[in-house]
Amino acid sequence: MQVTADDINRTIAAIKSNSSYDFSNYSIKSFTRRIEKAMFDFKLDIDKLIKRIKTDNLFIEALVKNITVNTTELFRDPKAWHTLRYKILNQFSENRKINIWHAGCSTGQEVYSMLILLNELGLLEKANVFASDINEDVIKTAKEGEYTYRFNLEYFENFDKVIRENPFNYEVLNDVPYSKYFEIDKINDVIKIHDFLRKKPVWFKHDLVTEGNIFNTKFDLIVCRNVLIYFNTELQSHVFETFYQSLFRKGVLMIGIHESIIGSMSNNFDKSGLIYIKKD
Amino acid sequence: MSYKYIIIGGSAGSFQTVTNILASLPQDFSMPIFLCLHRLKHVRAGFVEALSIKSNLKVIEPNDKEYIRQHKVYLAPANYHMYFELGNYIGLSTEQAVNHSRPSIDISFASAAYTYKSKLIGIILSGANKDGAYGLSQIKENGGLTIVQDPEECQVKTMTSAAISATNVDHVLKANDIIQLLLKLQNKHF
Repeated sequence: MQVTADDINRTIAAIKSNSSYDFSNYSIKSFTRRIEKAMFDFKLDIDKLIKRIKTDNLFIEALVKNITVNTTELFRDPKAWHTLRYKILNQFSENRKINIWHAGCSTGQEVYSMLILLNELGLLEKANVFASDINEDVIKTAKEGEYTYRFNLEYFENFDKVIRENPFNYEVLNDVPYSKYFEIDKINDVIKIHDFLRKKPVWFKHDLVTEGNIFNTKFDLIVCRNVLIYFNTELQSHVFETFYQSLFRKGVLMIGIHESIIGSMSNNFDKSGLIYIKKD
Repeated sequence: MSYKYIIIGGSAGSFQTVTNILASLPQDFSMPIFLCLHRLKHVRAGFVEALSIKSNLKVIEPNDKEYIRQHKVYLAPANYHMYFELGNYIGLSTEQAVNHSRPSIDISFASAAYTYKSKLIGIILSGANKDGAYGLSQIKENGGLTIVQDPEECQVKTMTSAAISATNVDHVLKANDIIQLLLKLQNKHF
């Protein structure tokens, strides 16, 4: 199903005037594709879709869940986690608290990756973790910390690369058993995160675009990976500004490996490997 | 007709052909080339390096919102879909795989077709599924030039045969003739 630019503008306007959501500054190409997908999934043509938006608030919630993208995995891009482990996190070892915000946490895999890494470094007790997403359903999954096993075998390859192996010293092998963090039930095809990690984060339904930093605190570390790719450059700049204001001095921003800070805000960060650090 | 962009899709059996194309195009070949190639999920690094060895043009895996420039080859990053936004920059997305593929050739081709219309050349090479057939038909519909590698020459014919059935393609050519055609079209451009 193909829609026109005008169809998309009408859809965005309808959502905006009937809810708190604002998709005006999303990337047009991917947003258009998501709307086409929603039309297919809900079996509605564009006019019927817009009519439902105008008349049915519950439908808007369902639509937002349908069009937002939830791809995530445990220790996605091990190289980025290596930088964090060997170059960044040590700077927080003298902190009394380490405030962390996972913005756009999806189903929680990166939240748990961070907690596992902090635990390996003896920093878990200091961590004060907030995780937020626009989609309540993914937060529910994140809280449960339960993922399918067979479909996600690469989680363990990534775990090995980040937790067991040391890329700077191939003779090191940290013999950390998976059972330290997961209950693996191959018969029922389930990986379950242990409770001591699951109970740690505070989860929020939160719209990064319209709500900004709602947490009444600044952060040492903000993780927001492959979220900003769905925004246009103007909205990206707005969110980078929010992150900048929300970070402590020397605070760390972890984004996707194919994302970058563009525009004037890039002058306010130094880059270490794949990680950004707020300048003094 | 003056073409300004080239997009190439391929899967199993296309790596050598892509390498040959990049090796045969001269340094002053100006049209940006977009590569949307399937690869194994775990082969995330090293692909740019492998393609760069013989290429006269700079090969990169673009970041999201990266501006598109002449004389460059843009390889869709592993595990991302690659779009072409108005304003001449790249958009990436991690939405689910299409035809079991991320990057999806259909998504990139359809997006390029819509953005570049008759300025686009689309090429489908050897591959083992039908990804790209819909995308190539979109290029045709939007007035672009459509080229498919001769299935007889392909290691795996599924992708090229599907593309040929999906639309009335302009050229079905052996890899060497595709290269000659690109060189000819580039010269016309000046």
